[in-house]
Amino acid sequence: MTKVRSRGITRSKWFLPAFSLVLGLVMLAVSWLGGSPGQGVISLAVLAAFGLIILLAGRSETVRELRGDGRDERFAQIDLQATALSGLAVIVALIVAWLVATARGQSGSPYDWLLAIGGLAYLLAVAWFRWRG
Amino acid sequence: MKNKVRALRTRQNLAQGRLAEAMGVSRQTINSIENERYTPSLPLALALARYFDVTVEEMFDDQGS
Repeated sequence: MTKVRSRGITRSKWFLPAFSLVLGLVMLAVSWLGGSPGQGVISLAVLAAFGLIILLAGRSETVRELRGDGRDERFAQIDLQATALSGLAVIVALIVAWLVATARGQSGSPYDWLLAIGGLAYLLAVAWFRWRG
Repeated sequence: MKNKVRALRTRQNLAQGRLAEAMGVSRQTINSIENERYTPSLPLALALARYFDVTVEEMFDDQGS
């Protein structure tokens, strides 16, 4: 039931614009706390504009798929492949950064921690999906 | 995978968009199936076969792919 409801929420055309706006507000609050409210206002403006564009560009099937309300099985597969590729890109970047940092005599942190989290998350995900069948 | 979706659709003078709407998928998905770039899931293949009143085997050819 919860899974179906959450899928319904992410398939709403309002989800991504609302998420962008909330993220912008969080960034504004964090920047404000960090003493640079101007940066937060810029972040909020950029994310709000992105959300508005995504909300209004509903005539495009691609935008509707990205937004969630036009998502079907083919896009779910594309999304999965794109997510895997993005993850691979991040892992490769972290490995390179870790190698460079280590070669420079630095500790390699936080790249080693991030790589460990990535590896552990992958193993846990494999175990979970195997268990689920 | 080789299939007869385009032939069956055009025989009924049906636009890709209308078929997509009936199947609950995007027009691009129907286009990708027709161009053999995307192999539909079993539920979608069954729904397509049911829509055109043919069997899945008549619609899709896994031997020729």
